[in-house]
Amino acid sequence: MFKKLIAESTGKSPWLFHINAGSCNGCDIELVSVLTPRYDAERLGFKLTGSPRHADIVVVTGPVTQQSLNRVLRSIEQVPDPKCIVTMGSCPQSGNVFRGSYSVAGPLSKYVHVDVDVAGCTPKPEAVIDGLYLATQILAEKRKEMKK
Amino acid sequence: MDMILNALKYLAYVLIFPGFLFCFLSGLLLCGIDRKLVARMQKRVGPPILQPFYDFFKLCGKETIVPAAANKFMFLMAPLLGLAALVVLQLFIPVFQFNIPAFTEVADVIVILYLLLIPAVSIILGGASTGSPYAGVGLSREMVTVLACELPLVLVLLSVGKVVGASYQGGICFSMTKIVEYQMSHGSLITHAGLIPAAIAFLLVIPGETGNHPFDAAEAETEICEGMLAEYSGAPLGVFKLNHGIKMLTMTSLFVMLFFGGLGSGIESLVALVGLTGTAAHMVSVLLAVLLLFLLCVIVTAVGISLVHAVTARLKIEQIFKYYWTVVSGLALLSLVLVWYGL
Repeated sequence: MFKKLIAESTGKSPWLFHINAGSCNGCDIELVSVLTPRYDAERLGFKLTGSPRHADIVVVTGPVTQQSLNRVLRSIEQVPDPKCIVTMGSCPQSGNVFRGSYSVAGPLSKYVHVDVDVAGCTPKPEAVIDGLYLATQILAEKRKEMKK
Repeated sequence: MDMILNALKYLAYVLIFPGFLFCFLSGLLLCGIDRKLVARMQKRVGPPILQPFYDFFKLCGKETIVPAAANKFMFLMAPLLGLAALVVLQLFIPVFQFNIPAFTEVADVIVILYLLLIPAVSIILGGASTGSPYAGVGLSREMVTVLACELPLVLVLLSVGKVVGASYQGGICFSMTKIVEYQMSHGSLITHAGLIPAAIAFLLVIPGETGNHPFDAAEAETEICEGMLAEYSGAPLGVFKLNHGIKMLTMTSLFVMLFFGGLGSGIESLVALVGLTGTAAHMVSVLLAVLLLFLLCVIVTAVGISLVHAVTARLKIEQIFKYYWTVVSGLALLSLVLVWYGL
């Protein structure tokens, strides 16, 4: 019964940790707007946490600059399993307008496995919620695989 | 045979009611109701009421990372120490007249006061054992918050004790059972004019004791990564979240028993009116008393925790300390003076 409760709860209580990897702040503001009364992601259980140790879903914004690369990877490693990595905006996915710059080390998928990409510059809050919801389902599946 | 039955009975008290299982269910439920209420007050839809249960079970299924610098034993035992203290504490708080004499008669308000400190100490121990600088900042703030809350709390309990003690042998009465008994015959203490400032002071102490907004400088997640919990993950973190829920239940039920303890006096006659007798009547009246207590706890949470959370921003630590030692202590002291002169 206990195992069943855990399996059912895993997808229902996703806590977010947000990493800014050299973002222009546009996506960061849009992510916060998802938690405001207008879109209220908390109704799906989303909660912004302050520490990577509490997180289930890591949201990365920005093109992953040389400066931030190491810190991003270290923060992601600190997240306990099962975890999901979501990139927000076009920057961490492709580099966007910063592609080819000497200071950009991205895209993020070169370094870690990315579960969900939410494209856009910046993505609409509806798209962000959709992407995060997809991540919760992946999270529940990962939990099932972890048990095996 | 009798001894075994007795032992089983006490085991049931500790593990089921009013011990662990009751604390677990109603503590998390109270937490969920609080989150929903805050959301509705901010015009949000809010999480489902069962959200804290989802959070708890999810955390149980997560990997637990013990930092290399941490003292492993202390790191893992600290949340359990807090949980044990809170469950014991709940045993000492009577449910109107239906208390368990073996627990409520040996322990009085002083014991409750000491036990209330242990969850705070456990979170400080756990945080300190991780060696994280965020935990260092958090635990120094937690100590100040605890210190700030203690003075008004003691003053409130003194004034309540004075009122009840005056009608017994004189002096100050510290027995929780006697405080409730007094209210059964004299009406709830909230109707006592001199104690109204004390009741307001206690209501303001509740969010400080539980570490709720706006007195959560110690666990500020946006500035110091939830302070002492920064390094916790998985099941130990879940237990700390559970402790927070149970502490809300403990503080609100203590408030109800101190100031609204007389509301349960009609339950037995109400049950007798329906025509139940013997064991069945007792069972039904205990059930009604528990439901009434929980309902009152929800109301106190709504007024004392959720409303305060929804309308205020987080205070700085020195503001918290100043607020408690001037405004709240002032109210409690006013009450003590009024009560001392027989008002």
